[in-house]
Amino acid sequence: MVRTCLCITVLTFLLFNAVALLAAGSGYFGSTTQQGQEQTEEVKIDNFSFLPTTLTVAAGTTVTWINRDDIPHTVVSSDDPRVFKSKALDTDDKFSFTFTKAGTYSYFCSVHPKMTGKVVVQ
Amino acid sequence: MQSPLYADLVLLLEITIAVALLAGAWLARKRKFREHAWCQSVAVLLNLVIVAVVMVPTFREQVSPKIPAKLGRSYVGLPAAHGTLGGIVELTALYILVAAGTKLLPERLRIRRYKLWMRTVLVAWWLVVLLGAATYVRWYVPLPFRR
Repeated sequence: MVRTCLCITVLTFLLFNAVALLAAGSGYFGSTTQQGQEQTEEVKIDNFSFLPTTLTVAAGTTVTWINRDDIPHTVVSSDDPRVFKSKALDTDDKFSFTFTKAGTYSYFCSVHPKMTGKVVVQ
Repeated sequence: MQSPLYADLVLLLEITIAVALLAGAWLARKRKFREHAWCQSVAVLLNLVIVAVVMVPTFREQVSPKIPAKLGRSYVGLPAAHGTLGGIVELTALYILVAAGTKLLPERLRIRRYKLWMRTVLVAWWLVVLLGAATYVRWYVPLPFRR
């Protein structure tokens, strides 16, 4: 009797965990990565800096750069060929790019090449 | 400092050229006219190369698209004033070089009051250099009192 109860308890526990894992994997409980719900992140450009300098995001995330500085800046990928390249952004102008593949994406401002940043896509 | 290397080099070269023009004017006062002619010619022609190779392409890429919409902003107004006055001064300087140093121009197009023209251009040249330096500061130097 005790052995039967123990077996049922262990099986129930295992079954519960299996269901929980499946549900999490399929996004059943409303994960932010489920299809149709795009994740967004923001990088502020201010005082000749990208803030944050390094941004870590999940694949599929759209990153938006906003120029809060009072001088034009650009956002240009350091990779060859260029993965993304903005036009010159005036104050309050925005530029967005969606990162679909994992990797580290370095970028810089072509007007001020010492201004650099990085997006780490996991 | 957030400036690219080419901007630093251009600023340094332009200050050197402007000082060379002052030295050339001093040579004229010392009545060394041949040396004066060489000094001013090299300065004006070197500036023409810098303008054509660096300044014009940069201006077209970074400033022209914002004219006239953002002309009121100092980061557009300063380089626009620098470019306009600089263009006039460079062309006038070239005209003086041709008029004074060659016989290419017909008599009626030659300059008579050389000193007045040359001195005016020298003063205007320094004004253009100051506008250029102000443009450099506006575009590349983070200033705490900017906002």
